[in-house]
Amino acid sequence: MSTSPVSRVRNRRWPAAVTALAFVLAGCGSADPNVGGGSAAAPFQPVAQEEGSEITIWVDATRVPAVKAYQAARPDVKIKMVTYSGGANGSNELQTKVQLFDRTGSGWPDVVWPNTQDISWATAGEKPFAAPLDGLVPQSTLDGYADGALERCQVNGKLYCLRNDLAQVVLWYNKPLMDQWGYTVPTTWEEYQALGEKVAREHPGYLVGTAGDAYSEEIYFWASQCPASVLTGEKAVRVDLRDAKCTRMASLLDTLMTAGSMARTTVFDAGFIANNASKVLLMPGPSWYGQVLFNETFKTPAGQIAAAPPLKFAGDQETFTGSVGGGIWMVSSHSKNLKAGADFVQWVTTNEDFLKTSGTYPADKSAAKVWLEKQASENYFAADVAPVFEAAAGQVWPDWAATTQYSQEAIYSSTILPALTAGDTLTSKLPDWQTAIEQKARSLGYQVN
Amino acid sequence: MSAVSTDTRSRDAVAPAVSRGPARRNACRRPSGVAARVAWTVVLGLFLTFFMLPVVWLVLAPTRTDSDIIRGDGLSFGSWENFATAWQRVFAYQDGALLTWLTNSAVYAFGALAITLVTAIPAGYGLAVMRFRGRKLLLVTTLISMLMPAAALVLPLYLELNAVGLAGSIWSVILPLSFFPFGVYLTYIYYSTNLPPDVLAAARIDGCTEWQAFRHIALPLAKPVVALVLFFSFVANWNNYFLPFVMLPSDTLYPAQVGLTNMLTASPVFNTSSGIIDIRRPELALAALVTILPILVIFLVSQRALVSGMLAGASKE
Amino acid sequence: MATRSTDRPRRVNAGYLFVGGYTVLLLAFGVLPTLYAIWLALTNSRGQLVGLGNFTRTFADPRFLPAFANIGLYLVFWLAALLVFVVLLAIMLHGRMRRTTATLRFLFYLPGALAGVASIVVWLILLDPNASPVAPLLKLLGYQSLSATIAPGNLPVLFMIIAFWTGAGGWIVVMYGALNNISHEVLEAARIDGATVWQLAWRIQLPMIGKWVAYMLILAVAAGTQLFMEPQLVSTASFGQISDSWSPNQLAYQYAFAANDFHGAAAISVDLLLLGLICAVVVVFRTGLFDRD
Repeated sequence: MSTSPVSRVRNRRWPAAVTALAFVLAGCGSADPNVGGGSAAAPFQPVAQEEGSEITIWVDATRVPAVKAYQAARPDVKIKMVTYSGGANGSNELQTKVQLFDRTGSGWPDVVWPNTQDISWATAGEKPFAAPLDGLVPQSTLDGYADGALERCQVNGKLYCLRNDLAQVVLWYNKPLMDQWGYTVPTTWEEYQALGEKVAREHPGYLVGTAGDAYSEEIYFWASQCPASVLTGEKAVRVDLRDAKCTRMASLLDTLMTAGSMARTTVFDAGFIANNASKVLLMPGPSWYGQVLFNETFKTPAGQIAAAPPLKFAGDQETFTGSVGGGIWMVSSHSKNLKAGADFVQWVTTNEDFLKTSGTYPADKSAAKVWLEKQASENYFAADVAPVFEAAAGQVWPDWAATTQYSQEAIYSSTILPALTAGDTLTSKLPDWQTAIEQKARSLGYQVN
Repeated sequence: MSAVSTDTRSRDAVAPAVSRGPARRNACRRPSGVAARVAWTVVLGLFLTFFMLPVVWLVLAPTRTDSDIIRGDGLSFGSWENFATAWQRVFAYQDGALLTWLTNSAVYAFGALAITLVTAIPAGYGLAVMRFRGRKLLLVTTLISMLMPAAALVLPLYLELNAVGLAGSIWSVILPLSFFPFGVYLTYIYYSTNLPPDVLAAARIDGCTEWQAFRHIALPLAKPVVALVLFFSFVANWNNYFLPFVMLPSDTLYPAQVGLTNMLTASPVFNTSSGIIDIRRPELALAALVTILPILVIFLVSQRALVSGMLAGASKE
Repeated sequence: MATRSTDRPRRVNAGYLFVGGYTVLLLAFGVLPTLYAIWLALTNSRGQLVGLGNFTRTFADPRFLPAFANIGLYLVFWLAALLVFVVLLAIMLHGRMRRTTATLRFLFYLPGALAGVASIVVWLILLDPNASPVAPLLKLLGYQSLSATIAPGNLPVLFMIIAFWTGAGGWIVVMYGALNNISHEVLEAARIDGATVWQLAWRIQLPMIGKWVAYMLILAVAAGTQLFMEPQLVSTASFGQISDSWSPNQLAYQYAFAANDFHGAAAISVDLLLLGLICAVVVVFRTGLFDRD
């Protein structure tokens, strides 16, 4: 073998290599990704505007008709539409791509249909992706949205998005069954619990709700005003599941799960649809449950389902409710035609003729009226849902941080749901849940206190 | 070189006789032979069920309604009408977007495949039969690049392609896909186990250049490995999700995998609050089936080449 | 050795010609991005060298160790299943009725064509004891709902099953082809000497396809350490009941695209690369994969 010269050369190279390696490994900067990253946004400086230039709109498949309707109404606006996974559960397509665009300095869309979590990163950093809409949308239009609907668009006193639809939680119930069994619809959580225990005794197998949805925490704990995450600063949250407002809801749900009238699986589970869907007596849930869940998924016949106002705790002064979803529109701060973008987001969130055909409850009050009239004309519900929906729209508890960069749904789903399946109680899992939220928040650069 | 092909042919002819031979001769081993046959059937039967059951379910799904899939028997046939409805809905989705995606997939997959074949086959051959400085380095580097997790390469690749002005074009998908180290390894192992050095040595003595040796000796032997590389490369290209997802700016450029994922996220089965009600489990199953058809065709084509004799060794003693 | 050195100059040039095209692609889409990723792992967002800072930082992440524990357990199951069953099935299929085994190979391969959406739809239903075609089996094992089936303790095995279902068929084809390389004379001679089927497989067929097995193991390690799709798709099918950072590769993805921290992501990827390299080096040296003859 003739390897010796080679190895001798290699040996001579070693010291240099080691020195270089030591230099590289010693380093000098800080590895903390958040150093210097927390600086507040500079005042918004639009890029040079080009009147009448083409705008690129990213939407999910469901929002395609919105773009087409707008194009029909404003044929002279040049639009390029791209469909992407958009607001789908847990999608981070927009974030992924905007990060790449930021690195290369090009490629951003002008208008996007993001998911709710996106508002958090899109308004952070030195040059946020989202453009502030103050001044671009007239105040009279903004006043038309339901009370508190624009709350999640407001960051540091600026408006970064417009709200498309609301998903206020109400109490769904099966009217003929309630009448037949002589039950009255509960108005407080205490009554709800008592009825749940009664149903478990008198009609075993029937359900008053489920704690097994990924978004169950937004139905129950949000309504209970539990501080699972409350923003205390731009990148600071308070997480306290030991708060009495959390434990009261946990023990209520535990009691009903033990009694058997509260399910542990998601309503979209094949097993639930096959075995439990026809046995839903009561079900706290968002406004879109009416069409999406009862009508299309459960195939519950018309004339059975009705909605009651959200529940409150007897000791609370005010009624608060939760919210499951509800979409938003954002305009890009890199857009060369902010005017067109702003006009688009205004039109699609307020145009009555278009919005009355939408599947979900419009955020704009007058569009919502028209939408509710159409719902009533379809005669699916056992009673008019309009007064309940309208009242609940303004009762969503404002302190629940819906726009943190992490999703409460993902954390609840991966921490609590497997435990519920294994037969554990919610109360016993609150510490795990607390830890999971804290860890997730810290990993994304939040201060937890 | 004709010697090679006659040899293969004659072996094929001999093979059946050979395999029948021992059973007849060794009558005393019969009982264990029966037991072995039963075991053979049972084991393969179990694995066949394991591999096929989900596929059978998937094939049946488009003939059923969504609620039958959830409420009905695990495996049952619905009706052709359901199938027709599902078909019509899938192709009506975003005005027939599925066809555009399939066309795009074909362009990316075949484009990258062509480049892969002309680069990987000679490279694998060169690494297997030649000695040159850097050969081991090349093998090691290839290995490392196969082990590197894709998540870490997204940003570098994107910046790189953007720097040369290709990001967003179809080349930003085709070029990275055509880098197929697995194919190089397949070819490398194939030639290093199947091509006896003396055959090449003989050719060189006859005055063949390296290129002629490759062209006249190695390539005719290459059919099975070309089939393998072709197949694996095609499948990898066709099913790749991440690269086109990151690189392509518009849904009209999406390949089927990315498009289908969009369809999935638009379905109320997964996007509960605001899905498109026409796209549910039967439609998703049908769309999935349509997109895998090309792979099955390629498999059958390349399998024929494989079966014809991976065995090509001309003088293996 | 001596004869080779005489014609070395000519062959050296030819060798470069043969590997040239591939080398360009390797440099552009393999080496360059990998080097950049390693650079990212050693620096921070302001381009300063931070040494092993990113590595210690990600190591301290509470999600780091569980993710690597998960992947370790998964790798054990995955490599064992692949090694045993693929070789077993290939040998069982080899040298028997041609038509039948060709069909079987095709059918075993079929799931390999299903990727992404197709697998999500399949597993969404298959793992749910209420609608699954294997419901009796799941219920026999004591699972009454989808969330019971995907209980955390089941996941490594479950992902192994899914990965085996999609990946094994392709490898069976490769192994079958490799077995075809063993000349009939060798096998026949052994049979005449009275070798049983087992002895034949163990003493002759297995050693002779050693390089292919090694190659499969390396690729299986590569695919195994990069586990991403399977947890992701079961997570989608179960509305997120599996952590979004179950595997290290998912964790790296979370770093890169949820936290905008490409440096941390690169550090985790380099960890994975090292893990894969250690496994691969063991395989390479134990089997002599790089030896020319």
